[in-house]
Amino acid sequence: MEGSDLILSVDQPGKVLFAKTALDGHWRGPAVVVHVLREAGFEVIYLGMATADEIATAAVQEDVDLVGLNVGGSLAVVMRIIDELERTAPEVGVMLGGTIQPQHRSALQARGASTFPPGSMFSDIVEEARRLVGVRRRSRKRVTSA
Amino acid sequence: MSSGHGDGADRYFTASGIPLRGWYGPDQVPSGSREAASGRPGVPPYLRGAYPGMYRTKPWRVFQLSGHGNPEDERERILFLLNQGETGFIMEHDRNTADHLYNVDHPEVVARREDVGQTGAVIQSVRDYETILEGIDMGHYYAHPGGAVVQHAPFALGCYWTVAQRRGLDLSRLAGTGQSDFFLTYLGCIPKRQIPTEAGIRLNTDIIEFCGRHLPRWVPVSIAAYNAADTGLNAYQELAALFANAVVYLDEIQRRAPENLAKLAYMVGGINLRVAMDFFEDICKMRAARKMWAELLSRRYGITDERATRLRIHIVTAGSALAYQQPLNNIARGTIMAMASVLGGTQSLGVSTYDEAMSVPTEHAHQMSLRIQQIIHHETNLPAVADPLGGSHYVEALTAELETRAWEMFEEIEGRGGFAAVLDEGWLHSLAAVNQLDLAGAVNGGDRTMVGVNAFTEDVSPWEMAGFEPVEGVWEKSMERLSLVRRERDGRGAVSALRELETACRGDKNIMPAVMEAVAAQATLGEFGEVFGEVFGDWKVPISF
Repeated sequence: MEGSDLILSVDQPGKVLFAKTALDGHWRGPAVVVHVLREAGFEVIYLGMATADEIATAAVQEDVDLVGLNVGGSLAVVMRIIDELERTAPEVGVMLGGTIQPQHRSALQARGASTFPPGSMFSDIVEEARRLVGVRRRSRKRVTSA
Repeated sequence: MSSGHGDGADRYFTASGIPLRGWYGPDQVPSGSREAASGRPGVPPYLRGAYPGMYRTKPWRVFQLSGHGNPEDERERILFLLNQGETGFIMEHDRNTADHLYNVDHPEVVARREDVGQTGAVIQSVRDYETILEGIDMGHYYAHPGGAVVQHAPFALGCYWTVAQRRGLDLSRLAGTGQSDFFLTYLGCIPKRQIPTEAGIRLNTDIIEFCGRHLPRWVPVSIAAYNAADTGLNAYQELAALFANAVVYLDEIQRRAPENLAKLAYMVGGINLRVAMDFFEDICKMRAARKMWAELLSRRYGITDERATRLRIHIVTAGSALAYQQPLNNIARGTIMAMASVLGGTQSLGVSTYDEAMSVPTEHAHQMSLRIQQIIHHETNLPAVADPLGGSHYVEALTAELETRAWEMFEEIEGRGGFAAVLDEGWLHSLAAVNQLDLAGAVNGGDRTMVGVNAFTEDVSPWEMAGFEPVEGVWEKSMERLSLVRRERDGRGAVSALRELETACRGDKNIMPAVMEAVAAQATLGEFGEVFGEVFGDWKVPISF
């Protein structure tokens, strides 16, 4: 198992679950980010509008390295998703984009979720995604070795 | 789509990719355009403006999107805007509930209950409309009482009209629009479930006919090509899609009652376009739109009636043109876009607020959008003269070019089976997606400069900008109101009115009388959704990622 993990981490930049937090179907931003991640080699599963439960379940089932959330609503709903992920898939990283209010960014950062408001550069998004994938792979490796 | 916009490139293009010369002379103006360009405003084909006196006789309507929270919060914001000089009002609805026709106790909503009320007020029955409209003179103001989403429009309009009737107002006195726009939820903002396009066309045509009979001052559907443009369609694609949509209604009216066609065509001719940052292209787009409408009615339907062929435009300035970074720059952007809207001869204007990229507008952001419009109106002398750019070689040449390209694409849509087909098959979505990626890629790669975003990024503003903090507890209060309606209404009356609605939906008669009855019996938003879902089924979303 450890061997195949190792091969994955060399060949595959990572697997991303992408979801929308609100019941708001705007897809312009998500389409661009999903495209950018795929161009960078990530495998992206697009879940669309999904609840905290659905996101956490899919993250576990699909064994993703990273969850990308398009935010279109309240901080509380985003925090519920982060809580749920922390409970079910604690080593999975979280990245956020969309209409994130400036005053909420520090609270989200404090939970380890990096924020990418409109106008963020593609390279910053990809770099952070790679970093989070690396963090998860290293933590999994530790778990496997132990 | 490459968009030079200068930046040292040796080739220049408009935002939609039309190549630009360094200067224009008479040779660049097609001969066919010279005649219309030397015409007067207020006469077909209306290239020079919709009305003879333009803003001297009819100032544009100051008309801003507004609303959030509980019905009381929405009323407060609307009254604030009206007190600050807004001349019509818009009731925004909560996306979670209104787009989907869900009540707040629907599991999908419960799972995200803190989101409720963030994007508009939660409105689940005619009672909520009564609360919002308390103290607002419905007979005086032009209103957009919600119903921007096709499947939501019958409920929203039914509620607004019922409140008016209860106040003793004759429906024929009311002016406004529900919008019922396909580009919003079938292109740009696709909900989890909605009725198929065919059913939506039927509903919209029912609304048009109902208004033809009872509400002569109403714009029954305001085709909002804005939503197509802000999803990614460029200027001429926006025009083509707009008219491809319009002919769907006109063809259906012609099939149902040809004798009403000219009268109802006038009502369909109240539309919504986007103005973004390519100043001249969007001015020219508005001029082209008026001319194309007059020609479309005349060519396709033989309608030459002066009233019917007069296109009236509502402009919303592009939300997507506004930046998250250095948000005060958006006041400059809003001003530039508002000026283009006025120079293009709009009848109505909403300026997207400077905090658009981060939240629902704060009161101050809303106020600034009004002030931008008021400064243009009162301080610049722009309203004095109609179509002041008409006759410019550049403006006439670009107007003609947009028109040519828009007609080409209109024909292509018709060739692909028409408007519903290109939505159902995802063809418009693909066009939008290509443009989105090009634009985002150009900003990201630096080919297109966006001030404060990818250039000039240092910000010394002394103001820290915070997004609007919505009121809390909206879901809980909405649950209370919902249970109160259920408890206090005549339950049997509501059930029977909903059955009548279902029968009307299954038949081929106009559903609006049954809608009005169901609203009056205090049927709720979610119950409308259940009936529509049951009868019409769900639209199959043509795109995936």
